[in-house]
Amino acid sequence: MYTIISPRLGTVGDKFVPSEGINIEALIEAGFIKSDKLSTKSAKTEETSPEE
Amino acid sequence: MATSTYLSNPSLTVNSVDLSDQTTSATLTVKYDALESTAFGGTSRVYVAGLGDHELTVELFMSYAATETYATLAALVGTATTVVMKPTSSAVGATNPSFTLTGTYLEALPVIDATLGELSSISLTFRGGVYAAAIA
Repeated sequence: MYTIISPRLGTVGDKFVPSEGINIEALIEAGFIKSDKLSTKSAKTEETSPEE
Repeated sequence: MATSTYLSNPSLTVNSVDLSDQTTSATLTVKYDALESTAFGGTSRVYVAGLGDHELTVELFMSYAATETYATLAALVGTATTVVMKPTSSAVGATNPSFTLTGTYLEALPVIDATLGELSSISLTFRGGVYAAAIA
């Protein structure tokens, strides 16, 4: 899912549904839309030092 | 009978981005290769349609501001995208059809074209792609 952040594309804040052939990466790179994907980065685990 | 005039309102979107307010001219040409099908007995050359080879040429003012001409086009050069033209910016209908090239290729982008004392403008050509006209 993507959200419009430039009025050149539509109403700012509306969802952007790309039609066929649209280059999504170019729109994100140029600041027209943003991705709503949540980060899939896993939580950090604390390192424990080996027992001596 | 009046002819069509374009005083201020044609619409052009490139990769979904409305660039109408930067556009000064645009021509979308629908073309199919002509394959000769003349055979013995024929008295004139005749042709059938081959592959589509459509083309959109546009003239745009160049702007390097955020979300303007350069920002829209910079990442598209060397790729295929979708362009849509309409006679006016009104809703698509029988008297305002939309013309779409899907998967049309932008081969070149003049990143700067400067002349002393003139507004900077660039010419682009989108080649190929699948053509469609819609009235709804």
